[in-house]
Amino acid sequence: MMFLALIGRSFARHRAFLVALAALLSAFQILDIVVAYNLQQNAIYSQFATMVPAFIQEAMGGALVGTFMGAVAVGFVHPLVMLSLSCAAIYLASEPAGEVEDGLVDLVVARPVRRYLIVTRSAFVCATSTLAVVTAMFVTSRVTVHWLTPDQANVVAASRLGWVALNLLAIVWSLGAGALLLASHARERARAAGTVALVAVFLYLLQFGAAAWAPLRPFARVSPFHYYEPMRTLMGTVTPIRHLLGLLTATVALMGGAYMLYERRDL
Amino acid sequence: MTLPDAIRTESLTKYYGPVVAVESLDLTVAPGEVYGFLGPNGAGKTTTIRILLDLVRATSGRARVDGLDCRAASVEVRRRIGYLPAEMPLYREMTGAAYLKFLSALQSRRVDESYRRKLFARFDVSDIDLRRRLDHLSHGMKRKFGIIQALMGRLPLLILDEPTSGLDPLMIEAFAETVHELKTAGGTTVFLSSHVLSEVERLCDRVGIIRRGRLVRQTSIADLRRDTPRRLRVFFDGAAPAPPSSLAVAVRRSDNRHWELEWPGPLGGVLDALQGLPVSDIEIEPFRLEDYVLRIYSDESRAAT
Repeated sequence: MMFLALIGRSFARHRAFLVALAALLSAFQILDIVVAYNLQQNAIYSQFATMVPAFIQEAMGGALVGTFMGAVAVGFVHPLVMLSLSCAAIYLASEPAGEVEDGLVDLVVARPVRRYLIVTRSAFVCATSTLAVVTAMFVTSRVTVHWLTPDQANVVAASRLGWVALNLLAIVWSLGAGALLLASHARERARAAGTVALVAVFLYLLQFGAAAWAPLRPFARVSPFHYYEPMRTLMGTVTPIRHLLGLLTATVALMGGAYMLYERRDL
Repeated sequence: MTLPDAIRTESLTKYYGPVVAVESLDLTVAPGEVYGFLGPNGAGKTTTIRILLDLVRATSGRARVDGLDCRAASVEVRRRIGYLPAEMPLYREMTGAAYLKFLSALQSRRVDESYRRKLFARFDVSDIDLRRRLDHLSHGMKRKFGIIQALMGRLPLLILDEPTSGLDPLMIEAFAETVHELKTAGGTTVFLSSHVLSEVERLCDRVGIIRRGRLVRQTSIADLRRDTPRRLRVFFDGAAPAPPSSLAVAVRRSDNRHWELEWPGPLGGVLDALQGLPVSDIEIEPFRLEDYVLRIYSDESRAAT
């Protein structure tokens, strides 16, 4: 009952933001597929390999990006999408710091609410909200592809796109868990969320840079984006179970830290 | 079997880095008592309250509520406490009704709807007020919702930090009436922090005065009334005579028309000494907690410097 009340309140507070994000990223899927459809119809994909530098193709997932099938996946690979989802997860997970900042914690934790429930609530809201947004993206993508696949184009199998979506979610959750860890110690939401968001952008750029510059590659292992191979996953050459396990392990470890910090802190 | 103290702190100390918030605080609040917790801004009142609620952790020492350790049995302790913070946090986008419903869901005890209705009536909260968003309400109305959320659980310990701040005189009266009712009914301890000393004097059985994190006095209002010297002005028909020896030490000022005295204890001694003198009038200043507290604050300030 208590937990449901906490979750309900958190969802209610973030409802408008989540609906807007889901609408925006779903619209992006439609736009992406409409563009891909037109490129396919105009036979532009054949020129793609010569237009786009190899390292950018590599960063975007390889040669498949220059096909209709790859272009469909851009809705799950584009930096704007990845960073929007990451920032959403970071924002949602930073709620404990916001409650300390606003003094709302005095109202909630002064009641017989166990502290771990606050962390669990934020983890749950972050995980399910981003899951809902990615599900909306996935469904929109599938429905749009169903309507707009050119005759001669290969279609992405739903299961392969599902793996890509899951892999993306795992990255987003790991960043959310990082934000939860910091928010379990911080007194200001903007500071906690802002710090982790900047770190996320840095880690994305690190992975992007590593595709172009070999000396960066060993460092790119610390980036969650390193464990995302959407194009290979789509082609079926990789099933990202190891990536998922690694990212989820990091998520669980960061959440464990968050529980410990929140349990010990002054609110 | 005797009941444990409703609140008991032993050598309670809290540092924020080098800053002392509370130091070696020993206070006791008996069950069923209305206790006034006084002190200037930054004295450590809110920190003490937040330690009782396990919102902050003491650096050393212990705090207990109903014999339960506020840290080790934190949830059990909070199950017994209705709390009104000084700075009323609000979910601004919520209506008053939704706010109270949400907070009821966080109580372990079911909220008695008829009692809540009674509180709405007492604090003049209408159905329209309940349907309005909290950020559209006046400061006083928000405060009323704060008081109602603290009281609605009918919990055995109420911790109220500046409860009447921003309330109009009618609502202050309604609050006082509620505290009187709780006191008469028994079973509820009220721990009240306030700067409105007339309110504390009127409502509280005992007071504790904290300054710079230390408890400087803890006493009952009845003892204060008895022990605090009373101020009297005695006016005479014609020239004031020389004070008799029994009153001489009590005279603080005098001129050719009157004396000003400070007299500890019952006033019978003064009246006896005035027998036979040409007294035209006697003014007796009522006891005021405010005077006493201000004197303590200034004494402590002098001692600190």
